Amino acid sequence: MSTEVIPVEKPKRNYNVLFGLTLLALLVLLWILLSVATTSFATGNNIANLLRQGSMIAIMAVGQTFVIITGGIDLSVGAVVGFATVVVAMMINAGFPIWLAILVTLLVGVAIGMFHGFGIVKMGLPPFIITLATLTSLRGIGLLMTNGNSININSDTFTAFSRNSFIGVPNLFWMVILVGIPAYVFLHHSRWGRYLFSVGSNAEASRLSGVNVQRTIYMAYTLSGLCAAFVGVLLAARIGIGNPTQAEGWELQAIASSVIGGTSLFGAVGSVHGPLLGAFILATINNGANLLNVNSFWQRIITGALIIIIVYFDGLRRRGK
Amino acid sequence: MISTAQDLHPAPVLEPGRTILELRGLEKRYPGTHALKPVNLAFKSGEIHAIVGENGAGKSTLIKLLTGVMPRTSGEVIWEGQPAALATPHEAMALGINAVHQEVVLCRHLTVAANMFLGEENSRFGILQQRAMVREAQKIIDDLGFDLPAHVTLGDLTIGQQQLIAAARATVRGTKFLIFDEPTAYLTRKEADQLFTLIRRLKGEGVTIIYISHRMEEVFELADRVSVLRDGTLVGTRNIAETNDAELVKMMINRSIEQVYHKEHFTPGATILEARNLSGKGFEDVSMTVRAGEIVGLYGLIGAGRSEFVTTLYGRHKKSAGEILWEGKPVQVNSEHDAIKLGMALAPESRRDQGLCLNLPVGLNLNLPIYKRISSNLLISSAQEKVQADRQIADLRIKTPSRGALASSLSGGNQQKIVIGKWLAHGAKLFIFDEPTVGVDVGTKAEIYRLFGALLSKGAGIILISSYLPEVYELSDTLHVFRRGRLVASHGFRAASHEDVLTQAIG
Repeated sequence: MSTEVIPVEKPKRNYNVLFGLTLLALLVLLWILLSVATTSFATGNNIANLLRQGSMIAIMAVGQTFVIITGGIDLSVGAVVGFATVVVAMMINAGFPIWLAILVTLLVGVAIGMFHGFGIVKMGLPPFIITLATLTSLRGIGLLMTNGNSININSDTFTAFSRNSFIGVPNLFWMVILVGIPAYVFLHHSRWGRYLFSVGSNAEASRLSGVNVQRTIYMAYTLSGLCAAFVGVLLAARIGIGNPTQAEGWELQAIASSVIGGTSLFGAVGSVHGPLLGAFILATINNGANLLNVNSFWQRIITGALIIIIVYFDGLRRRGK
Repeated sequence: MISTAQDLHPAPVLEPGRTILELRGLEKRYPGTHALKPVNLAFKSGEIHAIVGENGAGKSTLIKLLTGVMPRTSGEVIWEGQPAALATPHEAMALGINAVHQEVVLCRHLTVAANMFLGEENSRFGILQQRAMVREAQKIIDDLGFDLPAHVTLGDLTIGQQQLIAAARATVRGTKFLIFDEPTAYLTRKEADQLFTLIRRLKGEGVTIIYISHRMEEVFELADRVSVLRDGTLVGTRNIAETNDAELVKMMINRSIEQVYHKEHFTPGATILEARNLSGKGFEDVSMTVRAGEIVGLYGLIGAGRSEFVTTLYGRHKKSAGEILWEGKPVQVNSEHDAIKLGMALAPESRRDQGLCLNLPVGLNLNLPIYKRISSNLLISSAQEKVQADRQIADLRIKTPSRGALASSLSGGNQQKIVIGKWLAHGAKLFIFDEPTVGVDVGTKAEIYRLFGALLSKGAGIILISSYLPEVYELSDTLHVFRRGRLVASHGFRAASHEDVLTQAIG
């Protein structure tokens, strides 16, 4: 019996790999098309710009994916990014060392995520509601703190980071790798990663099997909050200001990236490479549309259409299996 | 359209004994499997025709073909003398073919009445006639002799009551051919009796009933004829008066009935768990012990407090009074986590809702309780993960293409083996099985009972909850009977008669 069992795991893994490769092929195809169609796409500056833009959404999408795998959703991440730019800007301008400002900002993200976990686990609120509430109130708190003004960050060291590159690759993209590798190991090779999937698939069965469901949910939202706060730090460095209204609608881009990357909104299906590719596909479409002088309104329509097409075909494949 | 109970429920004028539906070489192939080999069979109007067979024998496939859920590969279906395509569920329903499924497929959030008329609502100028519908639904329910209110939300009823509503719903649709798929799996005896009354009444009206069940005594109680499927082949059809248990079981599994309830006796060892005057939500003042090497059976009607008692032992609910002793020491069990740490394992009643992560791989499901053991720090040893999963699949003889296959792709019996099997590697000392063989065929049952023996021989104790009397009766070293939240009687192995136990449970 066991001899019959061992060689057959391949189909599922193949499928995951295949889906990843399809996304990668799509991305490469877009790049080739744009290189041919425009003169400005395949320039160092433009590529660096694209990577910078895509990187921030990509990091948020990874956090978002953890949440979606548990069967939840985190609508607050855009607001967390905006709020984080304010916190890090205020602390730097108040003369705190940069490392401390960043650390505190990240902890703020953790705290927000814990609050979401609390709302879901202890107060029994649906994830959609609790994170929607945070989405609007965090913007409000940020506006109160700044009186509605932008804060210009007075540290060049801090702002230089996001403009610089390391061995030819923008620092912001290195941050994706910094987040992506541990996230991959966490999701696919750690116990807690397995528990994210099992809770998303059947929380009750997981509980009866001894999985700490509450802790797993806390963890997912905390990681999402942490990723968003980290993106807030990167964004503050990139634009040189702290402003609570920044990153408007980024939560939807993060969710879209995750879904394009094969994450199921019903939970229990998802990966780390998927949302990363999804984020860069979206960034490429936006970038290419700009270069081709496509009305920016069209970009939104294209993004919507792409979500429908990719998720539809993914669903077909899964059902057809 | 304004409809009344009358025209929704016309007395079908069917001549009894006439062939209503005939299968000619009906066949279904899936990629890789031959789920139903060509079947020739004729159903007569006004007969109750039982179909029995193991899981995977082709019963579900047959239902799906007849109800238009799936297209057939080849063969013909003749409905009242005319070939029928049966390409869509809608077409099947239009002919008068309906099915009541094992798991209730209705809208839990709507009222009973809304469910009864779902898709055929009674409205005037586009406005739903809600009160009229409730009235009519109530009339139908009363008429059938079910003591149930029509205005309440379906989800507030027990699963058994929901099943009765599902059956009642099928009767109001001009049904001529009604398929029951394991309808009594979640019913109490009383509810089952109500259902049987309904079925006999439909038969009297000339409706053809297909009755699928794993419970032999029901087949003998109800059916006129019985057909046996094995491995997708129709093995034979018998008049019920001309056959018996032993013959049917033999036809189904090629194995004798004594081998199903294979009971091994062990000398009981030390006490593993003791409940002293334990009370909690749904039960009061229950005391019992479980020793190593014994099966303690809990029998009672649904709602008698058996499940509540064990879920309290397992830390799911708070006890209100009394003590739990584990290996002689008083313990507090505040969560499932505590229970599992002590060495308890619970295989819950509903595998879909509580037992399995259906859209995850078999291997992950099997390893879920032991990920702590097969990971160092947080990182999982993927070699260990594979070895453990494959060993379980082999030991439990789970029929799956691989450990990577999704749990949802397995048959019910094999899913149940996962629910039970995932605890074997965990090495628990006390196993609680809540209705372990619901919806499971005889062959798989025998395998599950053999697993019990294997657990006992390793020094574990078992609490077995079942609404199926033969099961607890034939397997329990000690049998406790619950009634309305209290432990009313205890018996040794086969010490009381079936009748006594039933009487004690009903009270």
